[in-house]
Amino acid sequence: MARRGFAIADLPGFAAVAGGAFVILYLPIATLAVYSFNAGESIALWQGFSLRWYEAAWRNEAVQDATVRSLVVASLAALISTLVATAAALGTTRTRPYRGQTGVYMLINQPLMVPEIVTAVALMIFFAAIKKATGYMGLGYLVLAHSAFCIPFAYLPIRARLEGMDLMLETAAADLYAGRWQTFRRVTLPLLAPGIAAGAMLAFVISLDDVIITEFVKSAGQDTLPTYMLGQMRRQLTPEVNAISTALLALTIVLLTAFFLLNRKRG
Amino acid sequence: MRKLLLATAIGLVAAPMAQAEGVLQLFNWGNYTSPELLAKFEAETGIKVTVTDYDSNDTALAKIEAGGHGFDLVVPSANYIPIFRDKGLIQELDLSRLANHGNIAPEWQNVDWDPGRKFSVPWQWGSTGIAVNTSVYKGDVNTSAVFLEVPEELKGKINVVPEMNDIVNLAIMYVGGSPCTEDTEVLKKARDALLAAKPDWIAMDYGATERLSNNDWAASVNWNGSTMRARLANPDVVYGYPKEGYPLFMDSVSILSDAQNVDEAYKFLDFIMVPENAAMISAFARYANGIAGSDAFMPEDMKTAPEVVTPEEHKAAGVFLPTCSAKAQEYLTAIWTELQK
Repeated sequence: MARRGFAIADLPGFAAVAGGAFVILYLPIATLAVYSFNAGESIALWQGFSLRWYEAAWRNEAVQDATVRSLVVASLAALISTLVATAAALGTTRTRPYRGQTGVYMLINQPLMVPEIVTAVALMIFFAAIKKATGYMGLGYLVLAHSAFCIPFAYLPIRARLEGMDLMLETAAADLYAGRWQTFRRVTLPLLAPGIAAGAMLAFVISLDDVIITEFVKSAGQDTLPTYMLGQMRRQLTPEVNAISTALLALTIVLLTAFFLLNRKRG
Repeated sequence: MRKLLLATAIGLVAAPMAQAEGVLQLFNWGNYTSPELLAKFEAETGIKVTVTDYDSNDTALAKIEAGGHGFDLVVPSANYIPIFRDKGLIQELDLSRLANHGNIAPEWQNVDWDPGRKFSVPWQWGSTGIAVNTSVYKGDVNTSAVFLEVPEELKGKINVVPEMNDIVNLAIMYVGGSPCTEDTEVLKKARDALLAAKPDWIAMDYGATERLSNNDWAASVNWNGSTMRARLANPDVVYGYPKEGYPLFMDSVSILSDAQNVDEAYKFLDFIMVPENAAMISAFARYANGIAGSDAFMPEDMKTAPEVVTPEEHKAAGVFLPTCSAKAQEYLTAIWTELQK
């Protein structure tokens, strides 16, 4: 160890500041989770432990419908966006550099850069015209909108995985007279699978907790869990909302943990 | 599992929004519609009502104006009914199809925003007044002076809800003006009163039900329904109706011009004007409903609640905030911005 580089962890008070930051980040969420078990009707006055609000949420028909709808939209959006993102990732890494490649990146990642409210208003106006012209008002619009803004979230991990993969393996397959499709099917795809799974899960989570675009695009009878919860805000909030949030949080943590584990494996 | 999910998915996506008989699409404020009311309506008429939530008048207006929404009924606030009407978004009601139209209480029959109730029927209404903990302050609570010239006992203990229209207009009425005034002398007095009082407030925040219940705050400018809930938890809380004038609000149901289930919509409107059914709406959301004779069916704790049943002597001071002119709105916003600094 001739010379150590600057490491931020060596600064005095690093642990205290980091610890403080984590507390500030997680304390509100912890409070929310704790009050979901409150026996009383209050979200700020502790009145004993109970599971009544979980039961209430479980029996609430509006919550049930919204949950099923959220899961269906998120599954379909994850599926579509992952397919598109995989194709896009292959098209931007397994080719010779070409003019306008940066432009293509920007187009693919557009939902990350354009403010969500702008996309939401634009989609509302655009879809309203189609709804009026065709008379179709089903869930398809939500699925399409969610698929679109999930693409970059699925694209980034898949591309990262592709860029980390050894091109020699694919070249070797080609040398051994594997056709392009065979190479893809037998070499590229299996190696890429963890990236695709990670991308799909990320897309699923992003779709699951979207509020703004859903609020603007939804037609009659299409509340998802987050828009349903938003609607509760005007009147008194009860711990039922805490219970729903905590359940949603648990689901998200499970998926993100799986995402982390899948990504770690490639190292 | 996967197959099941896929099948559900295809079913949900493929099914076009039902326009068949026996359904109704209600676009309403979140957590505002009694599930028991909808169950009773379905049992009586076979019509299934689906509720979709919104959280502000502006969201509802934007979605309906864009078109292609699939809703039949909407529940805008009083100052938004004229906007919906003038834009042609809601239709004039055929009163001959509403047998129970006469059940609307006399004081809600001829309202400024909808004379003769030709476009809307009452859903719920309430007021913005002042909640005070009487164990802390024993003086007169029926005046805006409680928050504009804060008494010694309440200094640093009173909250003001952050609702621009309510607060600025309370101040305007306190200094002798009328809501949405364009008189700069009056506006200046109102502004000065607000700015002078602000250092005595503890906060400008929501959540008064909780904070009054657990004695965090000794007083708050607050809504009547919320104050009633606070009183049920903390009997020292009383609700004051400022005699200088206080804002009323009412949300009313209208049929959209492009509604697809018009017959069902009429049946629903007629249904909610039956006193017993109107009482179900109130029992759920805890606000009064505007239908004569519904009091008899109200839950016991609401029948006698001084927050819900406005005492006779305070009725006159209640004012519906009109839809302000652009200029008046600009003044309100300017005062509000300065107050927030």
